[in-house]
Amino acid sequence: MAVPLSQMYTVTKYVLTQKLRGVKRYPLVLMLEPLFRCNLACAGCGKIQYPDHVLDKRLTPEQCWGAAQECGAPIVSIPGGEPLIHPEMATIVKGLIDQGRYVYLCTNAILLERKLDEYPPSKFLTLSVHMDGLRDEHDLAVCRDGVYDVAVKAIKAALKRGHRVTTNTTLFDDANPERVRQFFDEMMALGVEGMMISPGYSYQKAPDQQHFLKRERTRELFSRILGKPKRGWQFNQSPLFLDFLMGRREYQCTPWGNPTYNVFGWQKPCYLLQDGYAKTFRELMETTAWNDYGTARNEKCADCMVHCGYEASAVEDTFGTLSGFSRTVKLTLLPTSR
Amino acid sequence: MTDTKQHSPGAPPATLQGRVFTPHSHQDLAEAIEFAFDYRGDVTISLRSGEVLCGYLFNRETTSGRSWVEMFPASHPDARRVYYDEVATIAFTGEDTANGKSWDTWVTKKDSERNLEAAQVASQAHARGHL
Repeated sequence: MAVPLSQMYTVTKYVLTQKLRGVKRYPLVLMLEPLFRCNLACAGCGKIQYPDHVLDKRLTPEQCWGAAQECGAPIVSIPGGEPLIHPEMATIVKGLIDQGRYVYLCTNAILLERKLDEYPPSKFLTLSVHMDGLRDEHDLAVCRDGVYDVAVKAIKAALKRGHRVTTNTTLFDDANPERVRQFFDEMMALGVEGMMISPGYSYQKAPDQQHFLKRERTRELFSRILGKPKRGWQFNQSPLFLDFLMGRREYQCTPWGNPTYNVFGWQKPCYLLQDGYAKTFRELMETTAWNDYGTARNEKCADCMVHCGYEASAVEDTFGTLSGFSRTVKLTLLPTSR
Repeated sequence: MTDTKQHSPGAPPATLQGRVFTPHSHQDLAEAIEFAFDYRGDVTISLRSGEVLCGYLFNRETTSGRSWVEMFPASHPDARRVYYDEVATIAFTGEDTANGKSWDTWVTKKDSERNLEAAQVASQAHARGHL
């Protein structure tokens, strides 16, 4: 089982509670960006192009805990920038776990091995290591040789200590399906709990503007990658989201499912687009023109199939339709039946 | 609107770095502010009061009441709110940090160039204690 039962139970209880209360829009995963500074400069990343004085800003632990409380999502994903650069990251993570939240600490793993002592293993903490493919592909994607080997070494060290470890992978239009499948084999052989995959998105300000996946190409690519899945593969994400990537289910974007909080405030409308910032989560929910975003509603969203917009849609499908629920149960119990 | 270089209304040029906008209408001002909002570098805003603010413009609100922008001044940790009607000029004075770093450029560079660039990024990260 890729995700612990306790986490499944927590998420299920949370979603059903929202439904019983008649809440139409609810957050599922808080995307918490405590800093934008990174120790890599990946060509596909649009999160780090800021002046130095902005890159030097950090959210305090109190700001992070307050955002989590305000938002109420059961899961907190901490991307960045590189979170392990933040001098108070271990304190931030501990506080979020003390709130009972499941934390996904996203890291390129360059600093992971030397920081492991600061993070006691916990079922509430997952180290989500950025891996964009096998050695050649990954090192090219992160624009530095040797990072793949450093990350693999750190993954092994974290697993040895009993940490939950997953990988997160962004795939671009030059991805070779066979190589990606080999990469899945290699990651599972390391012993990771599961893998997370998503197509890239064309950030307005990302240096890589011509390289991101178009919707049809995305479906074709993911069908080739995920078709006939191997028995050992585990994905730490909704099986219906993977169906969506393969073109087997249609979803509208639910950007409120993964609200983003960073040094600028609550980002409108989503993790990827920057159309302004709200001071509070409530203001974000009440003042964002949600109907202006999503598939066929906004040209910036036209080709987007990214997890932060559509994974919550898949979860909503699981708990909102009989076909979604039965398909989720089937693919969870029999993942090779896809 | 006038600026120090060529300005074509509508789509912004590849980079705005070095340009100065002096809006003559609310529409000009709104357009210049949208450019500044999308810009990934510091801008310098001259106010009608004579005050000059340099920093990163990260937010703007135009839908309710008196329109405003928010910026992080380069020399002060707290955000500063400025109303549209206070703005006299907007200059794109800081480096456009998103300009000229395309993926295609990266993959077509010679290995020696890539290695040099990667080494520079690593060196800067190392100097900050991030490696």
